[in-house]
Amino acid sequence: MRDDAVLTRLLRDIAGQDQAALRTLYDLTAAQLYGIILRIQRDRSAAEDVLQDVYLRVWQAAGSYTPEAGRPLSWLCAIARNRAIDVVRRKGEVQGPVHEDGEDWLERLADPSDSETRLLSRDALRACLGRLDPAHRDCVVLAYCQGYSREELAQRYDRPVNTIKTWLHRALASLKGCLEVVS
Amino acid sequence: MSAGAAGPDDRDLRAAEYVLGTLPAAERAAFEHERTIDPVSAAAVRAWEDRLAPLVLAIPEEQPSPRVWEAIVRALPGGAANDNRVRDLSRQVGRWRLATAGAGLVAAGLGLFVALAPRLAPTPAPPTGGRYVAVVTSGGALPALIVNIDTATGTASVRPVKAEAPAGRSLQLWYVGAGEAPKPLGLIGTDASRIPLPDAARTGQGVFAVSVEPPGGSPTGQPTGQVIYTGQLIRD
Repeated sequence: MRDDAVLTRLLRDIAGQDQAALRTLYDLTAAQLYGIILRIQRDRSAAEDVLQDVYLRVWQAAGSYTPEAGRPLSWLCAIARNRAIDVVRRKGEVQGPVHEDGEDWLERLADPSDSETRLLSRDALRACLGRLDPAHRDCVVLAYCQGYSREELAQRYDRPVNTIKTWLHRALASLKGCLEVVS
Repeated sequence: MSAGAAGPDDRDLRAAEYVLGTLPAAERAAFEHERTIDPVSAAAVRAWEDRLAPLVLAIPEEQPSPRVWEAIVRALPGGAANDNRVRDLSRQVGRWRLATAGAGLVAAGLGLFVALAPRLAPTPAPPTGGRYVAVVTSGGALPALIVNIDTATGTASVRPVKAEAPAGRSLQLWYVGAGEAPKPLGLIGTDASRIPLPDAARTGQGVFAVSVEPPGGSPTGQPTGQVIYTGQLIRD
């Protein structure tokens, strides 16, 4: 089970240098974090290096986790995404093309077989993403799920980087306003 | 939005783009610093992480290779790779003329192991106040447990080096005398411990084994789970 209470307790044990707790946390969350990292850093070997680094950071930083920092799984996912993005941005590498677009991600988000919690916030986010201009929305989703940079989005949509920046800002501002109303 | 503006909206958008991952490298590094010194920026980051977090549910899981966990364990502070005592021990392993069951036995049941144990047992040494050591391994380079036997006091000191119980299970240490049923010695904690020995173990014969058991140990008094480590006694 990956509920908040279990993960929070594991993080507390890890803060006390409990390696077995780290192993349990790894068993529960590594596939999800690796999935996230691999979408951003598409080289498997490099993605595994990031994953290793993520859990070593968790080992060091578990004591700094508080419920105010968000849900434990969100906290872990944020560490994984940030590390993966740091690595690809620092290298400045442009990754190869992928054959998914924002629509694919949105459909996956609607998958009713998903039994995870937070259905409400998920539905709210999906509803609000659905109200955005499709190209703007796709930029947000591709950036979040696949680590697209502004430059990569500019290439994909054949627009200047500044236009992409404007799209992102508009989309993010609308999203924030929409989520305040919906949720 | 005008370039260079630094109002609240600008900060929130930078937080949003930081979370999204679209800030250029230099701005990203600058914001990374900003969020550590500015609580408002830190709160904005958390709020954006929460807003976008449901999107991770759309990302399919992927199984990493086992080498990732192995690398994590090696790199843990105080873990096997960084423990000087362990490095010393692993250097001593050759001198102990270590006789361990091969990796092929790791997955085998204890039944097979017990059947083999009499043949693997060394020539009995005279039981006169000797000291013995068992380096219990899973076939890898590093020992999982160091069992020191002091026949004078009739105790074994067990020091886990790398032994890890799977989630929700206990590791149980067994002594298997030549041709005998396994005798439970105790559960393996994370710290070194001393446990009393059965009489037969004081002769320095036999094998130590570790099995995975339900929490608190085997309910039957015999190993019920997989034997993950084995090691023989060597006269020290």
